[in-house]
Parts: sequence; C-alpha cells; structure tokens
Amino acid sequence: MTEPLLVLENVTKNYGAIQALRGISFSIGKGEVVALLGDNGAGKSTLVKIIAGGLEPSSGRMLFEGKEFLAKSPAEAKAAGIETVYQDLSLCTNVDVVANFFMGREITRKVLGIPILDERAMEAVVGKALASAGTRIPSLRTNVEHLSGGQRQAIELNRFVHWGGKLVLLDEPFAALGVEQTRRGLEMIRQVANQGIGVVIITHIMQQAFQVADRIVVIRQGVVAGDVARNKTSPDAVINMITGETLAGAGPAG
Amino acid sequence: MNPRTRKALEFVLDNLVWFMLVFVLIVFSIFVPNYFQLGIFANIIEASSVLGVMSIGLSLVIIAGHMDLSVESVAALSAMTVGILFCSSGIGMGIQLNPQWLMVPVSLLIAMAVGGIIGAFNGYLVVKVKMSAFIITLASYIWVRGLVLVISGGRSAQDLAPAIRWFAIQRLAGLPLTAWIAVACFVLFSLIMAKTPFGRHLIMIGGNETATFRAGIRVNRNLVIAFVLAGAIAGLAGWLLAIRTSGATANLGVGLLFNAFAAVVIGGVSLKGGVGTLPGVYAGVLLLSSINTAINLMGLPANFTQVIHGLLVLAAVLLDAFKQTIRQRLA
Repeated sequence: MTEPLLVLENVTKNYGAIQALRGISFSIGKGEVVALLGDNGAGKSTLVKIIAGGLEPSSGRMLFEGKEFLAKSPAEAKAAGIETVYQDLSLCTNVDVVANFFMGREITRKVLGIPILDERAMEAVVGKALASAGTRIPSLRTNVEHLSGGQRQAIELNRFVHWGGKLVLLDEPFAALGVEQTRRGLEMIRQVANQGIGVVIITHIMQQAFQVADRIVVIRQGVVAGDVARNKTSPDAVINMITGETLAGAGPAG
Repeated sequence: MNPRTRKALEFVLDNLVWFMLVFVLIVFSIFVPNYFQLGIFANIIEASSVLGVMSIGLSLVIIAGHMDLSVESVAALSAMTVGILFCSSGIGMGIQLNPQWLMVPVSLLIAMAVGGIIGAFNGYLVVKVKMSAFIITLASYIWVRGLVLVISGGRSAQDLAPAIRWFAIQRLAGLPLTAWIAVACFVLFSLIMAKTPFGRHLIMIGGNETATFRAGIRVNRNLVIAFVLAGAIAGLAGWLLAIRTSGATANLGVGLLFNAFAAVVIGGVSLKGGVGTLPGVYAGVLLLSSINTAINLMGLPANFTQVIHGLLVLAAVLLDAFKQTIRQRLA
C-alpha cells in the first residue's frame, strides 16, 4: 500500500448506552479509493461524520498524514484538506449555483479594506468547472431550488472535484443520479484519486464499489468485518461479510 | 414562454413591493385631496425613519432564519438611556459635554452599545444554549421594557440637549437629517447583504443551516453578529426616537414591533428565513407610511390604521404564497 494518509485506530462512538461504533481501525492511502460497505445502521455515516468533524468520537484516535488528528468542526476538517459530500445534500436552495459552489470560500476583492464578493470571477470558475465535468445547467444564476435532483448532486460532485484537498469522503453520492451521470461520477472519482487524493466512498451498490474502489472495507455492527483489496475478492464474498455469514476479518484473501 | 417575458415577469415578482408602492402613491395622489405634494412625500420618508431603521435589524435576523422580538423594547431602553443622560428636565440628568457636538457621537455610541449588549445576550442564548430565538427574544421584549420602567420610575425625560436635537431640525434637500440616517442605513446594509461574504453567509444560513455548517462557515459567530447588529440597530432607532420626541417616556415606541414586522413581511422577507432583500423592506416601510399619511389626510379616525395594517400583513403573506406558485410555474 502507498503511504497512509488517514489512519483510524480503534475509533468508537456511543450514544448513551448504544454503541454505534465499537472500535473501527483501518487506513486510507494517498490516491487510494476505499469503498465503505455495510448494511443500514452499520455505522458508516457516523464514521464519515467523525472524520469530517461533524461528530466527536467517544474514544480512539486518528492520524492524518502521520499526525494526531481530530476535527472539532467541519471548518477544521476542511482546513486540514478533508472534503465531504453528504448523503442528504448540503446545498442552500435559496441561493444560486455560484453561491453554493463557493459556499464559505467566496472569492473577494478588497474595496477600502472591506471584502466584496467578486461575482464575475466566481461565475467564471464555476462555468469552467461544470463545463469540464460535462454538467449542463441552464443558468449559473438560477437558484438551486429550481434545479432537478440530478443537477443538484452534480453541483456537489463538481464542488468536491474542484476543491480537491487531500481526502474526499463521499456518502452515497450517486443516489439521485442517472446511469450516464453515475458513470461520469465514477470517472471523476478515479480522476481525483489519480491526483493523489484519498477517496472514501460509501455505497450500497456492489457494482459501483467494484468499479471504482482499490480496496473494500466492510463495517458490520460497528466493527470492521472485512478489509480486502478489490482484485482479491468477489461481490458474493463481500455480501457475506456484510450480512455476517463470514467471520469478522476473514475476507477470502485474508 | 419566451425568455424575455419570463425575465420581465421575474423582475416584477422580485420587485413587487416597489410596484405596489408606486401604485398606492398614484391612487392616493388621484383620490386623496392634497396628497400630491412634495411636502407630503418628504413627510412619508421622515415619518418612516425610526420604523425603517428598526426593520433593518429585524430583517437581518429573520433572513438568517431566526427571530428578534426584542427590537422595540431595546429601542425604548436606548432612548430612555439617552434621555436620562442628556435631557435637562424631568428625570433627565442634563449631562453637558464640552464641546457640545461631542454629545452626538457619545449619545449615539451609548444607544448602540445598550442595544448591542442585549443583542449579544439574545444571540448567546440562541447559539450556545440552543433555545428558540422566538422565546428568548419574547422574554427580552418583556424584561427590557420592564427595565425601561424601572430606570425611569414610569416618569419621562424632556428637553434633549440642543446639540443632539439638531439632527431633527437641520434639513438637507428637504429632509431632516434623521431621515437621511435611515436612508444611509438602508443603503449600507443593502450593500452588506448583497455584496459581502458576511451578508451572503447570513442568507445561506437562513436557507440551510446544516449545509453552511458543513461547508465550514462559522454559523454561530455569524448568528451572534446578526443578533448584536439587530440590537445595535434597534439602539440607533431608539436614538432617533429620542431625538424626534426630544426625550423619552416609559411607553415610548409601544407597538413599533408589529409595524416593523408588517413592513418586513410586506417587503418580501420570508419568516422561514433565507429570502428577502433590504430594499424591499424599505419599500414595505414606505408603503405603510404612505397609507398612514393617507388615513390622516382623509380624516379617518386613527384607529383605522391598525385594522388596515393587519389586513396588509395578511395580504402580504397571501401574496408571498401566490408568488411562490408563479415562480414554480416559471421554473
């Protein structure tokens, strides 16, 4: 494996007496795509939120680029270079495409020391980013509430591709996409990984995981039930890990 | 529908309240005797300055998806503080500063600081204790008014220092300086909301707070600033109020809150947050003020004003729903 980018050691999360995560350990390398699989309620989204700074773990530790890492807020995670695309979309439908694309990172120019939004520069960047990804949106100045689910998801995906960073977390990013858009989305993921960015993708669709991932990590009942290279396992074996018919950690390739 | 009609229609929808204002002014000018004079129009702008300033602060917080019911009482407290310090009769202490003009910035700063502190208190409770802004500011609405009664003992302060009164008397282009202050505030905050990252963030927080938090925007900080601004602006409104009445009484400004609400809603700000612009709010304020003036000129009993304002708010909310359906059809 390449140099590890993010290492999780025994991360747990309790909600009162309920243990959502009972000790997760795995790692992600630079430029590696890891598919995170697991049944509903296995703790995948909780794990993503912990890495992305939305939740604090109850115990355990994380190493990001070899240094102890714990994001107390999404802003901190972002500053460290972790981008996240959440399952329920994170768009403000009351503002336009450009405003959403630059949410929290607006391009400004100083007028008398006061930051003023540079709308023209931002619009140019968004236009370029969407065009190069092949996403077609009639006007970048329409409010997102007037766009379709697929267009909205495309904005989110383009956003992460554009900002990149060092690690990208995708929580079921293709739920609202059509066949062609999904194919393009998967291509984007590869493209991002080829730049040396680590990618964690949560998905329910086995085919997607096998198309894009280098490694497959299965979570069951809050622990890692399998961590195998994609080319050393099969969809059936992974399904067995998800449902628990195989012993924990006993992927076919060991 | 071709793109041009669509654009025109969207423009009308976006600026509906301005069209209403023009329509109302034309109708009144035709049907109400003596309505069509420059003096009347100047009077409309002048009469709406306190309400206008207060509506700005209220709008900021509502656009950010929260609520501030305390603005009216905060304005009264600021007015009373200025009154007690700088009035020479009643309960006024008649403090004199040398040179005289120094009293203007000092009284203004005190008024805004009083408002800002209460705004910070509201904001802190909303953000940190995660209580509903409606309840917290309702409580502030009550206790701040109570504080006004406590510090004044129910009595009033009269004869504000002439150096401060100057703002109500001095005119520029036919309008008193107090009215220009309100106009300047609208211009300033309209620019802040439309052109700066802070304004953009407030609008987005009002639209989807979770999304902005995830995007790394410091939601709590922005919200506290919005509450502090709302308080400080209410303090400014109180300062203007004290100047206009040359002092302060314990029940100063009672009922302004509901007018401010009416103006904000009529101006196209959605109570759900995330929607609305300050120029629209100013048009709403002017609309209310022109209707008041018409009622006065027609010699209707003033009690009608309230009935009409209430109906106007209802009309505004209905109109908002209607606009939504049209927009959905456009999309």
